[in-house]
Amino acid sequence: MAEPAVRTKDAPRTIRELRLARTGRRSSRAKPVENVLREGLRLARMPDPSILVLFGATGDLAHRKVLPALYHLWRTDLLPHEFQVLAIGRRPFDDESFRAGIRASLEMYSRILPLDAMAWRSFEERISYQHLDFDDQSGFDALATRLDEIDHDRGTRGNRLFYLATQPSQFAEIVGQLGRVGLDHERLDSGWRRIVIEKPFGHDLDSAKRLNREVGKVFRESQVYRIDHYLGKETVRNLLVFRFGNGIFEPLWNRRYVDHVQITVAESIGIENRGAFYEQTGASRDVLQNHLLQLVSLVAMEPPATFEANALRDEKVKVLRAISSNPLDPATDAVRGQYGPGWVAATQVPGYRGETDVDPESETETFVAARLTIDDWRWSGVPFYVRTGKRLPKRATEIAIQYREVPHRLFKEEGVAPDANLLAIRIQPDEGIMLRFGAKVPGLRLDVRAVTMDFTYGSAFNVDSPDAYETLILDALQGDASLFTRADEVEEAWGIVDPIIDAWADGPRPEFANYDAGTWGPGAADELPARDGRRWRRF
Amino acid sequence: MTSDAPITIGEPVLRWSARARSIAEIESELARIWSGQDLTATVDGEPGRHVPARTSVMNLVIVARRPELAERCAATMQALTGRHPSRTIVIHSADPDGPSWFDARVEAHCIVPREGAPETCAETIHVTCGGEAGHHLAAIATPLIVHDLPVTVWWPGEPPLKSRSARDLLDEADRLVVDGSTWTGDGLTRLREMAHLAETTRLAVSDFALVRQARWREAIASVFDDPDFLPYLRSLRRIAVTYSTHDEMGAPGSTNMVKPTYHVGWLASRLGMSVAKPLAPVTGHGHAPAPARAARSGAVRPAMSRGVAATLSDGRGEVAVVVRPVISPTPPGTTLRVELLAERRGSELRADVTAEAETVHVRVWQDGVEAMERHFRAPRRTDVDLLAEAIESGRLDPVAVGALRSAAALVGPHWSGS
Repeated sequence: MAEPAVRTKDAPRTIRELRLARTGRRSSRAKPVENVLREGLRLARMPDPSILVLFGATGDLAHRKVLPALYHLWRTDLLPHEFQVLAIGRRPFDDESFRAGIRASLEMYSRILPLDAMAWRSFEERISYQHLDFDDQSGFDALATRLDEIDHDRGTRGNRLFYLATQPSQFAEIVGQLGRVGLDHERLDSGWRRIVIEKPFGHDLDSAKRLNREVGKVFRESQVYRIDHYLGKETVRNLLVFRFGNGIFEPLWNRRYVDHVQITVAESIGIENRGAFYEQTGASRDVLQNHLLQLVSLVAMEPPATFEANALRDEKVKVLRAISSNPLDPATDAVRGQYGPGWVAATQVPGYRGETDVDPESETETFVAARLTIDDWRWSGVPFYVRTGKRLPKRATEIAIQYREVPHRLFKEEGVAPDANLLAIRIQPDEGIMLRFGAKVPGLRLDVRAVTMDFTYGSAFNVDSPDAYETLILDALQGDASLFTRADEVEEAWGIVDPIIDAWADGPRPEFANYDAGTWGPGAADELPARDGRRWRRF
Repeated sequence: MTSDAPITIGEPVLRWSARARSIAEIESELARIWSGQDLTATVDGEPGRHVPARTSVMNLVIVARRPELAERCAATMQALTGRHPSRTIVIHSADPDGPSWFDARVEAHCIVPREGAPETCAETIHVTCGGEAGHHLAAIATPLIVHDLPVTVWWPGEPPLKSRSARDLLDEADRLVVDGSTWTGDGLTRLREMAHLAETTRLAVSDFALVRQARWREAIASVFDDPDFLPYLRSLRRIAVTYSTHDEMGAPGSTNMVKPTYHVGWLASRLGMSVAKPLAPVTGHGHAPAPARAARSGAVRPAMSRGVAATLSDGRGEVAVVVRPVISPTPPGTTLRVELLAERRGSELRADVTAEAETVHVRVWQDGVEAMERHFRAPRRTDVDLLAEAIESGRLDPVAVGALRSAAALVGPHWSGS
């Protein structure tokens, strides 16, 4: 039965809005005047005075990533003076004890140490803590009152960024409570309201749709910032510059020249005391549905007309749709694995089923590989092989564009024929770009060897890159959603991954563990490219 | 001479040093550094780390008139090795009227910018020359420049921009780096000369005096980030800049005025204003000078002079400009306050931007009612920071170009303040 239509915040509310929606005409509101004094400064626009309301402030993510990122933004004067953090949690802290906890976390996780004493002093003054149970309606009433008080006392002007760094199961409840007390409302002169939602966004396509629907009842899509921190990484952002800022690569970025693409997100670590979480997710939900598909869409997308949020996201969504238009066969196009005991970096490690908080009979996959095809003009017939796994031999994230062989092997009589050209974009570690090509070996013979031109960020720009969270939080404060995922993007990605997960759930019990920790995954993963006469790149 | 000094992360280490008596000997020594020597270093007590090959992203030519200035500039550049590895050529001319002579020291410095990063090395060539040789800067620098890399000339002190020697050298350069706030007198005549040079050549100009004002500019720009105040930006009616002097009379030419002039130049260029009347001394009586004791105690008070005034035009009306000195213990020429007054449809916006220690304060009044107060951290910036920013600003920074052009127009062709 079809689900009832749900009225979202984006639905037209007036006759005029309805007419504009039908005719596709834009509002005649004049383009805002720009602050021309900002040209050439570090920020094209300083974020507005605002309050960042951090839900899940006592959690691991807040202490490892979000609060250190805010501290660095503050330390480098990239936040407005009238900026406040209202930390929300269910544990009984007061302002002082919570600040002490943050300081301890910064001492561990700040990317620049020692802490700047003066910056810390002024930063901690801007942090306060509020105890709140997410199912407590009166607590949210009190929250609304407190935010108004902060606006009044600290000049934050009603601008609020709600940051959900909680368990995903609490997202809908928090959003609903915020809507109930009217904290989503953007009225004239009352400031903006935005919400950042951490991944995973949903557990599958249905839950993602449900969550989108719940969020859409309260917030307009333009107010929602779904975060995937991979998109804030410098090298990922540089991928766009590399593709669309250089004239020589784009003409070679299509089926005519590219043989196939490989994307690897390999981790040498295990699940690091996150057994309970990982049991519910697995590699498909944790990495394939978001990080890997985001990388695929950035590699495969058409050039957007502008570097504006919706233009960029439109192009990414088109790629995801082109993948799902030719659904994967889970039996032949996807492989899952789970690590057993083994050795990684000269250390003996247990198998997944031996990890804390993991079911000894667990069927959760810690490795997934897939062969994707993109049914569009540019990529038709070019397979994208993607893989990710835990407890692989080394940490490495890389995009490899494998070019076709030369059409005629001129040097085949002379020793070993040269390898086809390869362009590898290393995302971590040792961020950089490598181009492999053939060169003549010096000497009388005409031997050809593969050589590489290697660009490493570390040696070309010895400057500290901002952490991905710094980039993304600043973007959210400035209202730039380019590097955040849109509702349809999330749903399209789930639409690709869901059939695989469903098929595995309905199929026979997997024979786990099927790869040793410290190896490159199950043997079946090698068969994915091997069936096409190709093989995974060796790292 | 090679060195196996241990590495400290982030600290440049001298790895090679040699003397030379001619350009040819310098070239020979440069070749020896990277080809014949097995340069090794010790990291955390472990020997055998090989120094990688030279890395260069640009050539930096430093022209220093005093030996201590040359050493200071070279040290600044060495601190930037990890960030902008360059071939640095430091030229110090001594005894210009004596006999010609030439002496050089070739050094290689290496740095491990952070844990796990590759070691980066760069060369520094210190050239000291006397007599006629010192007049031909281009003849010294040009043969030592690494091909196909941009050339930046850093000219601390007073660059003789009209001299043949300077012109020849700058013809080879892509960027000139100066510090206009250190120039003698009010510095404005030289500012005009520099603007002329920038207009008539391909040379990009970076002035530390302008680069240092970035936090001021951010603070001033922040006033108009507020949508309520943004419409006033096109309705400025008065710009007043107050700067520090140690001269009791605040006499024209007694204090460097480059920084306050840049403030006005930057605003004028960003807002598309033209100069209707260039700067000229304000006539009339000033305030009586107070005792020098008050100045020593840190008090800020008007000097005798009422400063200089100009008129800008934004196409809709005139904008009054006042640049005035006050006696203050801060270094002469330091901007103390920028005041903006805008009028729009009968409403008035006044912004007051001041600096204190390492903070810039912004206060805004709308129709007499205080509407905004902000503070920006403005940590003091070293020459290393300034040089890095100058280098990173790209080939031609349109904001810097516009500010310099407008500042020069503001000074006008008949300026005689200095």
